[in-house]
Amino acid sequence: MTTLYVLDVPENTPLAKVAAEDPAVAVGRIGPYFEISANGVIVIDRRATGCRHAVWYSAVGGVARDSRITQHDKNALRVEPA
Amino acid sequence: MTELDHRVQGVDHVAFPTFDPAATVRFYRDVLGFPVVHSICAAGWGPENHPDFIHFFFDIGNGDRIAFFYYFGADPAIGGAPGEKGDVYARFGPDVPEFFVRSRHLAIHVDNEDDLLEYRRRLDASDWPVEMQIQHETIESIYTHDPNGYMFEITRAMRPVTPQEDLDATLTIDALLDVVAEPEPTFGKLLARKAELIVERAADWELAQEAGR
Repeated sequence: MTTLYVLDVPENTPLAKVAAEDPAVAVGRIGPYFEISANGVIVIDRRATGCRHAVWYSAVGGVARDSRITQHDKNALRVEPA
Repeated sequence: MTELDHRVQGVDHVAFPTFDPAATVRFYRDVLGFPVVHSICAAGWGPENHPDFIHFFFDIGNGDRIAFFYYFGADPAIGGAPGEKGDVYARFGPDVPEFFVRSRHLAIHVDNEDDLLEYRRRLDASDWPVEMQIQHETIESIYTHDPNGYMFEITRAMRPVTPQEDLDATLTIDALLDVVAEPEPTFGKLLARKAELIVERAADWELAQEAGR
């Protein structure tokens, strides 16, 4: 399982929306956070989100211990099973 | 978590040394339009060889103030060799990275984009033009260095802060304190600890918010 959390604020909503376009990815909620999860890899394309860099690089609220970020650059955020 | 009542009322003053009071007055009073609101002319006294000094204050809004000390006869090299990185208070060698040199700075708040751009116009017409205008996460800022080399920022909020950002800040700090209490703190460890705190506390926080409405 791969899980990351993203705070629900206006700047971050495109990120959750783009993540949800992958049918293998589930976007739920826990309190005011999006809970973005999948059995395998989660990849979110930065340009598809339209997030400017300051938002993009500060959007991740938490990453579950069974998951790890393997890419977080100007192209994409990639989270994989640890 | 703090249970203490919060009684403070913002910045009374923040103070810096200057070796160039003429340029400092031009920058803050004549370029930016910050009124001079207070000054102290003091003969040196006290246990050390304290120089005679002028302590002068500019209003930065809300009655808050930025203040400077001008010490008669003080050598500008006491804060480090002029020409090196940094400001007159602290000079750094060429190997010290810019992120560190720029980390300590003062940011003054304005209410909206019009006000931010007004100060941009004033600075751009001066000897200290805006060096950067940046939209950060939720604020937009302009930057220059004042005549003393101090990093100077004026900033506006692009939207109001939401209640969930206060929760997020609390979880960040609690996670950070947990991570720095262990050896070799990393960003990855912080995000892992914060994920645990989100799972533990975020749902209850939202229920409490709804109950409080």
